[in-house]
Amino acid sequence: MTTTPAFAPEPTVVVDRVSKWFGQKVAVSDLSCSFGQGLTGLLGPNGAGKTTLLRVIAGLLRPSDGSINLLGSNPRQDPSVYRSVGLVPEEDAVYGFLTARQFVRYATRLSGAGAENVDDAIHSVDLDDAADRPISGFSKGMRQRAKVAATLVTDPDVLLLDEPLNGTDPIQRAKLITTFRALAEERTVIVSSHVLAEVERMADRVLAVVDGKLAAAGDVAAIRHAMSDIPYQVRVESEAPRRIAAPLMASDEVTSVSVSGSVLRIETTDLGSLGAAVPRVARDVDVRVTGFEPEDESLESVFRYLVRRR
Amino acid sequence: MRGTLAIIRVTLRQLLGGKRLIVLGLLGLLPAIVIWLATANRSAELAFQDYHEIAIVILFLIVLPLTALVLGSAALGDERRDGTLSFLLVRPLRRSAITGAKLLAAWIAAAGVTVAAGTAASAAVSIRTSDWSTLVPTIVGTALASACYAATFMVLGHLTSRAVLIGLVYVFIWESGISFAAPSLANVSLFRIGLTAYTGLLPEATRFLSEPLGSLTPGVGGALAKTLGIGLVAVLTAASLLKRRDTT
Repeated sequence: MTTTPAFAPEPTVVVDRVSKWFGQKVAVSDLSCSFGQGLTGLLGPNGAGKTTLLRVIAGLLRPSDGSINLLGSNPRQDPSVYRSVGLVPEEDAVYGFLTARQFVRYATRLSGAGAENVDDAIHSVDLDDAADRPISGFSKGMRQRAKVAATLVTDPDVLLLDEPLNGTDPIQRAKLITTFRALAEERTVIVSSHVLAEVERMADRVLAVVDGKLAAAGDVAAIRHAMSDIPYQVRVESEAPRRIAAPLMASDEVTSVSVSGSVLRIETTDLGSLGAAVPRVARDVDVRVTGFEPEDESLESVFRYLVRRR
Repeated sequence: MRGTLAIIRVTLRQLLGGKRLIVLGLLGLLPAIVIWLATANRSAELAFQDYHEIAIVILFLIVLPLTALVLGSAALGDERRDGTLSFLLVRPLRRSAITGAKLLAAWIAAAGVTVAAGTAASAAVSIRTSDWSTLVPTIVGTALASACYAATFMVLGHLTSRAVLIGLVYVFIWESGISFAAPSLANVSLFRIGLTAYTGLLPEATRFLSEPLGSLTPGVGGALAKTLGIGLVAVLTAASLLKRRDTT
């Protein structure tokens, strides 16, 4: 197996040149990677193809091209592999008329697992007090935790978690992250998220996906480093923008400057240094700055940059 | 087996929960109420005739298909609509075990309503006539026809979100209209499978039901074989669809 950041040394899940398209729309494009023991974050903006990739790995979607190897099997042909696989889907895949306890117990019966872990699974997601209430009355965060409990209860070797922290409050989020990290000590855990900070707290290894392609792979530091030379555009508002523009042009961190009315647009590769330079220059030339706002700094634009660069 | 039983139990709650059971239950009372009112002051012989020309027609042409359409199409359709199908599919269960359990649950639910409706209607006329000969044939006929409808509509419910609409067109345009006009098309009609079982068990009813029977020959064995065949084809077709289609 290739040893690049996109590939795990002893893989349990192998994605081999997988593409998935829905009519004209390409959701995943010729993507290869693998996952082994530990927690891997699947990071990317909404609509990047993370959910599609997870559902292809889980065998819920048939790849249009390429293949999946999940614990040595193709899940679409061998359902017995699901004895060792758990999926927490992004959507509200719960039975509202069941209580949380009944829902978790149902998962054990479907998976042929023992019911002795039901209470532990419910406890691990902090649903003890609500366990005997119908799920229909649950908040989004509680439903999310019920789904996680129904997956954990079968003690899977491979856990696929699609945006599992959606709707949870900060305390629950911290607890779930601790739970996922503990599970990852012996298992393969893949967690998708569009929030960089969330993935950073959870994952040792990150695969960044955008437009269905692998944009970057490696540990969190490597991803951060890959992002460090992205040119940012900053909008500065001032009563006399041309007077600030001239000295800023001389700075190393500034790559271009344009003025339009009272707005100065600066392109930089070092947002932090520019943030310090602008007030300093404004003070020197005695001009008041009324606005300083980075433009186009969403995670999506960062990932798009990474894809273009590859 | 444990997984299959669990699916049946949960599906029954899913199908019969909320207002669905109340609405279908009220619909199921229709044949009994109509025949009770229609046979007041009628002789036993005329009441027996009315039972077949009124109650059986309402039961087999309206109550039974509507009930089985709603419950059969919901068996897999509700899972697809609610996003819970993925919860079922990522389990170590053969797809045919899932669809078999779904069909069994849909049939139990549909037969529960329609057999109760048939029993009530049969009881209503039997009390008037002091003749209970219609009871067992009604139960068998409705049970078999429910299975045929539930199986067909289960597959339809998985294929399209417009299953109820398409099912209504089949029931009211094809079965109640076109197939009456062309008796040779009676073979492509699900309620008639129940009717052939009914008339097979109660041959004296054939003279009142010759029009809906069309070209079909009464007989419970043939009806049972057709029902089992339709059930098997439905389970395998739905399982194949689950295997081959994407679950989004």
